[in-house]
Amino acid sequence: MNGIDSKVRDAIERLNLTYIRALDRRDMHGWLATFDKPGSYVCIPKENEDRGLPIGYMLDDCYERLQDRVTQVTKIQPDAVEHYQPRHFTQLVDIKHMGGVNYRVETHFTVNYTPADTGRTDVLASGTYVDEVVVNGDARFRSRRAVLDTNVVPRYVAYPI
Amino acid sequence: MTANINLPDTVMEWPAKYNEIPKAVFEEPGLWRLELENIFYGEEWHPIVHRAEIPNPGDYKAAFIGEMPIFAVHGDDGRIRVFHNACAHRGATLVTDSAGNKADFECPYHRWLFSREGALVGCPNSQEFSPSFTKEGFGLKELRSDSFSELTFVTMSDKTPDLRTYLTDAVTDPLSRVLGNGHNLKLLGYQKVHYDCNWKAYVDNDGYHAPLLHLAFKLMGWQGGKGVQIVTDNGHIAFDSELTIPGKIEALEDSSIVQFKGDPDSKGSIVVSTFPITVFTKHMDMLNIRYAFPKGPRGVEVHYTYFARDDDSPELLAHRTRQSANLLGPSGLISLEDAAIFTRIDLGNRSPGNAIFQKGVTDEYKLEFNVKQNDESGNLPRWEHYRKRMGFRRAKA
Repeated sequence: MNGIDSKVRDAIERLNLTYIRALDRRDMHGWLATFDKPGSYVCIPKENEDRGLPIGYMLDDCYERLQDRVTQVTKIQPDAVEHYQPRHFTQLVDIKHMGGVNYRVETHFTVNYTPADTGRTDVLASGTYVDEVVVNGDARFRSRRAVLDTNVVPRYVAYPI
Repeated sequence: MTANINLPDTVMEWPAKYNEIPKAVFEEPGLWRLELENIFYGEEWHPIVHRAEIPNPGDYKAAFIGEMPIFAVHGDDGRIRVFHNACAHRGATLVTDSAGNKADFECPYHRWLFSREGALVGCPNSQEFSPSFTKEGFGLKELRSDSFSELTFVTMSDKTPDLRTYLTDAVTDPLSRVLGNGHNLKLLGYQKVHYDCNWKAYVDNDGYHAPLLHLAFKLMGWQGGKGVQIVTDNGHIAFDSELTIPGKIEALEDSSIVQFKGDPDSKGSIVVSTFPITVFTKHMDMLNIRYAFPKGPRGVEVHYTYFARDDDSPELLAHRTRQSANLLGPSGLISLEDAAIFTRIDLGNRSPGNAIFQKGVTDEYKLEFNVKQNDESGNLPRWEHYRKRMGFRRAKA
């Protein structure tokens, strides 16, 4: 991260904190607002990523899909899916300047989850975000790719990671 | 089936009515050993790997049959063989990752080396081995295998009938349409999930629930329910149903995700469930095998495995990929609720009594093989097969 302007680094850190705070509050519109247009979000197990296999748990490859992710979480699935409280912990590990306002950012994450019915906390997933971030004053995700070390997830991943 | 095993104290009497299933069958941990012997190590075929998952010589995939680790290897001769994942010497596992490619398979313990075809090709200091030792006698132990539409199945029993007889005509036609309908397949990837329930709770999903549990079906205005279930007396179920989806779905900004863009010969949904635990689906353009591995009496790991046809256009390949990743599996728009239910059923079944099936049951004292798409009675012939395999007595009416 040497040579990265501290304002850029601060903007990227703020973007990530906004992102995880929105998810942990189940504020899906706040989550959507962290993406640039056209944005994309992918949540994929590392096993597939390493083998070049494209299937993920979520593959929102355009802004309309990001909007539909909000609809799925807020309107379609709450009826039958039991809520769990996610809690994201992240560590920024790398920023590379890709020219102009574009940066490639890597951030490690762990997501704990606490289902309402058991009240017990376990690890839902850990891994690395590999992001393309646009920094133009504020920062936005051009794309966020959550690569999960967790190749077998427990029960379901009901919300983006 | 049960002549040579000791029945545990937990052996249960089955209700006289065919639509009643003792809830204890999901919860009694002592049944697991019996299920291993009578079902997973018994006269059943278990799908392990499609050729598209290990397309090149040396490609391998690890799996389980019951509690035993196994692995499938694509040999230099093009044959796919399935071996016990255990060195022929002292039994250490030979592969430790879920998949990969190897020139040969070496046990690190004493450096015994096996070919892709399972032959022992190297073993240090063999001049000092026991008098009866021969390399030919210490190849990897291969399981009996057979294939259908390039999908390799294994069985632990020599008595299991041949694979096509076992699958029956009722299953082979819809299954072949899931598995490419004569086209080669291309692997798109896996979604793996652990469900905290007994394996039978996972596989007991029925036709009744589909339009009721899955709110997405209603929101998207899908019209279905005209199909039938074909059930066999050895525990398989095949759904072959029509499905009509409106071109524009008001609830979504991107309706393209839920459209048919693939082969014109199937506009509907196909769901094939083979005994004991595997599900195959073709919903819209998603081609999916759900390999499932029970982790003892509680817990089942399901590997949703997605395919395309290898002659798909780039557009169709991209469509299948985004549809598969977003609609099915542990985050899927039209299947996420299933995962919620499996755990709830498993917990609720700790209450006493029987689970009583209703939808489609016309006579409680006989098995019904005429089953409509949205009936739950299609699961009852499978339960009857389970009961017979387990040697449970049915109570007199």
